Amino acid sequence: MHDDHGHGHHHGEHDHGRHAASSPEVRVEALEDLLVERGLADRERIDATIQRFEHDIGPMIGARLVAEAWADAGLRRRLLTDADAVVADMDIRGAEIEHIEVKANEPGVHNVVVCTLCSCYPWALLGLPPNWYKSPEYRARVVREPRVVLAEMGLDLEADTELRVWDSSSETRFLVLPERPAGTEGWSVERLAELVTRDSMIGVARVTDPGGR
Amino acid sequence: MPPDAHESTPAARGVHDLGGASGWGRIPYQPDEPPFHADWERRVFGLLGAVTSATARRPGEFRYALERLHPNDYFDNGYYGRWLAGFEVLLDEYEVFDLVDLALRVSVRTDQALGDITQASPALRVAPVADRVPSMLPPDRPVPAPQRRTVRRDLAEPPRFSTGDRVVAPTPTQPGHTRLPGYVTDKPGTVAKLHPAEVLPDSTAHNRGERPQHVYCVGYDARTLWGDDAEPNATVYVDLYECYLTAAQSD
Repeated sequence: MHDDHGHGHHHGEHDHGRHAASSPEVRVEALEDLLVERGLADRERIDATIQRFEHDIGPMIGARLVAEAWADAGLRRRLLTDADAVVADMDIRGAEIEHIEVKANEPGVHNVVVCTLCSCYPWALLGLPPNWYKSPEYRARVVREPRVVLAEMGLDLEADTELRVWDSSSETRFLVLPERPAGTEGWSVERLAELVTRDSMIGVARVTDPGGR
Repeated sequence: MPPDAHESTPAARGVHDLGGASGWGRIPYQPDEPPFHADWERRVFGLLGAVTSATARRPGEFRYALERLHPNDYFDNGYYGRWLAGFEVLLDEYEVFDLVDLALRVSVRTDQALGDITQASPALRVAPVADRVPSMLPPDRPVPAPQRRTVRRDLAEPPRFSTGDRVVAPTPTQPGHTRLPGYVTDKPGTVAKLHPAEVLPDSTAHNRGERPQHVYCVGYDARTLWGDDAEPNATVYVDLYECYLTAAQSD
């Protein structure tokens, strides 16, 4: 069964009545109404949760950590050995950061993060994950052919670069510390943080230098 | 099936256990993709707290509900579609409401018959919670209650394995929730690091107690996992609970 996942699953094979009846737009509206009527959900609280994750909790939190580590060698060492303490000191709180490990990219070493069993991701540092991270394609393939997958996503690695793939199977969550681009010497933490993308902290992209290369 | 069949029959890999599965195509990659693509996805996300507070409160329980979904319900509407199907399953299993109550509220928005809507519920084709035989779980052990809500626990017992030890996780013989990915089973790996101890989701998801475990980061050389097809110079690290692991035969 396992090797049939990709071949065996074809969209549109099931009957159309079922599909129409289970349109997620309608189902979630109905479900929300029912929960609100029963006093089990509160629309204002739902709205506030969505707002928080769309506006306040996002990759800028992780980007700030990365920029601080680029600017301060002592902080970088602590982040790589005891990220929980750094996260606590910076008063970063929230979901999905029970235990954080930060993995540094260096010349000759590249790290990339996945969750093959579901879609575990450090929400409080990066916000909610993008669809591609949660896709069966990424979950199935990045452990088996990481170099091919990264090249497909636009990241070509040197042939002799060691690849480390981190599968998030416990409550530990991983963040990649990307390499600091050349040409940023003397930059402020704020300016550095603006360079750091979410995808570079998952490990599927580099932080490009200020020339955009 | 003989009563002791679970002793020798490997449990089938679930629909969610995707690591290494073949047949999947290009990654649907968009740089800087936003987390939501439609308003209904926002609403599903916003409901997570309300639904799990009323139903799946134990570690691993919500994940296990998703793992038990019919493959169509797991894959068809992506991540938030999977959550929504899981919500319906849990609200039905916990008898928070009847499927007809939900169908009534769907029917006022569509021209579909009540019976058809009810019949289409993921709750009617979900796999049941598997019976977890307690004797096949590691013993529970009393630990200090944590000060805050967390899965981490302080264990008095020292870890069985150390960094550098060679270990193997045998294929599970009991069906049910586990955080052991199928692609590393029966393959030797090397303990790279210890993580903080955690409650065992294989037990909590089945309401069999916390049974906290040491957690190891185990590194697997790609050649060990994929043989001749492996990419050179790659290691896959997986976090595994102590009870999954045995010492590897020296190789």
